[in-house]
Amino acid sequence: MTLDLLVLTDQRGGSLKVSSLEAISEARRLVAKEGGGKVVVGLLGHDLSAAVEGVRAFGPDLVLVADDAKLRAFSAQAYSAVAARMLERLSEPKAVLAPATALGRELLPRLAVEVGGTIAPDVTEIAPREGGGLVAMRPIFGGRATLAVDLPTLPCLSLRPNAFSSEPKSNPATVVEPFALPALPPTAEAVVVEKTVVSRGDTPELTEAPIIVSGGRGLKGPENFVLIEKLAKVLGAGIGASRAVVDAGWRPASEQVGQTGKTVSPNLYVACGISGAIQHLVGMSSSRCIVAINKDSAAPIFKVATYGVVGDALTILPALTTTLAKSKGLPVP
Amino acid sequence: MDVIVCVKHVPDAETRLRASSSGKWIDTDGVKFTVNNTYDEAAAEEALRLKEKCGARSVRVITVGPARAEEALRYVLSMGADEATHIEVPADALLDPLTVARLLAGVIKTLPHDIVMVGKQAADDEAGVVGSALGALLGLPSYAFVTQLDPDAASKTLKMHRYVEGGEEHFHGPFPAVVSLLKGAADPRTPTLPNILKARKKPLTKVPLADAEAKARALSPTAAAGSVRSFLLPPPKTGAKMIEFQTPEEAAEKLVRLLREEAKVL
Ligand SMILES: Cc1cc2nc3c(=O)[nH]c(=O)nc-3n(C[C@H](O)[C@H](O)[C@H](O)COP(=O)(O)OP(=O)(O)OC[C@H]3O[C@@H](n4cnc5c(N)ncnc54)[C@H](O)[C@@H]3O)c2cc1C
Ligand SMILES: Nc1ncnc2c1ncn2[C@@H]1O[C@H](COP(=O)(O)O)[C@@H](O)[C@H]1O
Repeated sequence: MTLDLLVLTDQRGGSLKVSSLEAISEARRLVAKEGGGKVVVGLLGHDLSAAVEGVRAFGPDLVLVADDAKLRAFSAQAYSAVAARMLERLSEPKAVLAPATALGRELLPRLAVEVGGTIAPDVTEIAPREGGGLVAMRPIFGGRATLAVDLPTLPCLSLRPNAFSSEPKSNPATVVEPFALPALPPTAEAVVVEKTVVSRGDTPELTEAPIIVSGGRGLKGPENFVLIEKLAKVLGAGIGASRAVVDAGWRPASEQVGQTGKTVSPNLYVACGISGAIQHLVGMSSSRCIVAINKDSAAPIFKVATYGVVGDALTILPALTTTLAKSKGLPVP
Repeated sequence: MDVIVCVKHVPDAETRLRASSSGKWIDTDGVKFTVNNTYDEAAAEEALRLKEKCGARSVRVITVGPARAEEALRYVLSMGADEATHIEVPADALLDPLTVARLLAGVIKTLPHDIVMVGKQAADDEAGVVGSALGALLGLPSYAFVTQLDPDAASKTLKMHRYVEGGEEHFHGPFPAVVSLLKGAADPRTPTLPNILKARKKPLTKVPLADAEAKARALSPTAAAGSVRSFLLPPPKTGAKMIEFQTPEEAAEKLVRLLREEAKVL
């Protein structure tokens, strides 16, 4: 069997999301497992030359570049219309991968309907399926369970950031081609982005961050979050927060992890002074490694943690920051 | 203007998960179901606010679910929705989100609708598929991860904010449309006793499954959908490895060593 894969990337706002590269790498691994096939990358947007170079380094066979001012603003309708045409360039059997970013998660269901495919969102594992198609694993109930889904026809999968590794590969045979824009539905052309408001520039976006340092009410006051910020800096981590501290106005809502905040699954989640209420756990319990720092040894967070430190976060955090900075040869912040 | 809101009756967030005997879903025996899942409740609240803001003619709440799901409809009626539609499916039906979207679309197509509101994702299967799929099936634009919306009835335009990685986009697009809501502008209202009583008398239409299926086929001839192979629970957590220490420095050194050498995450 062979399998041709279309990988739709996310470079909203001009920067290629790392999770797009994870999707290209996983496509290459799948093609290898299936015993052959093409990896075709679809780039949709405007001013894409940097993105073209970005994806080329990951060794796809073909890059289709739909670069047009009409695609500057993301519209699921417009992108789906273009992606459906791109799919015609692949041979059967085929599948579509995209990162499970806001863009990928919005685009794929639409595309699946329009091309008669099946869908699994936010997947963490993919395997070939006997009889054709793919099997995808995806976390549900806030990571408290997993569903294995059979996708017999034209699987469309969005891949959870950080769940798949990205591996650069040089491929001198990569072909880059401009892709002519098909006619777009008039309602799609009427979608206009007026402005983009950036919430924070210096730390990684929470849903994509490979490491997150998160603080709760146990930090005692907003002024002590500087300890979280320093550790995050040394680790190159994103900053998270419990709802209690967001509600108290100590931290912005964009940092909230949990049922009413973001769902994250970094490689490492450091929970400091967070009790581990179920509404918090559903947002982070699928993290690969969880460290809990809490002065109460009976705190529920220790039930999901990999490593536990029973102690005062206000003294443990600076010690951790210093140890890590020294071991990495960085100045102690 | 007519607003439709789609809600799903889902297990309560605190539910202890056990696998069913089929091994494909949770055992629902004794499980408490609710519509109080953040996204759908927010979608319902936003649908009602749309009505209040621009004098929508009606807000209709619709669900695909077994008999017990009527409770979710009554709840949203008691929040203030005007009428309800129940596409009733067998209690043990395991529906792919694309199938749910087709059933909803078939029925919604026959009802007046200017804005169809859904939650960002259902609290149980967390697919986040139904909204965009509905848009495609109804031939309407769809907007997801929306955090704020304001309709301009005259120009048939929705002014919206939506979540993007690292920030928010302020944008506008035409309606009729499907909107998947990440977060509402206000906390969902709690039904009052008089409204709960009133809700009992509001019109609730049952649509038999065969009917909805026929309508769905009329819209979308293919019925491609995934199917659940298995529902898996993680092995019970053994609890954290606790770090013994005398000083914060010792704790830090032991932790960093474990993260580096054992967990290999640094
Ligand atoms: C519908 C609903 C939705 C919700 N959504 C969310 C959500 O999305 N995200 C979320 O996080 N919560 C959410 N919650 C709230 C949740 O139930 C908890 O109230 C909240 O997570 C608690 O935050 P916390 O752990 O920071 O505070 P607390 O529960 O007050 O815990 C503080 C912890 O810090 C420890 N501590 C105190 N001092 C120190 C110290 N010096 N050093 C170390 N540890 C210390 C304490 O032992 C305690 O365990 C939601 C609740 C509801 C009802
Ligand atoms: N069975 C259902 N009946 C009505 N609406 C649903 C149903 N399932 C999902 N939805 C709606 O679609 C949204 C996304 O669901 P999902 O794609 O399953 O994550 C939910 O928040 C609901 O608004």
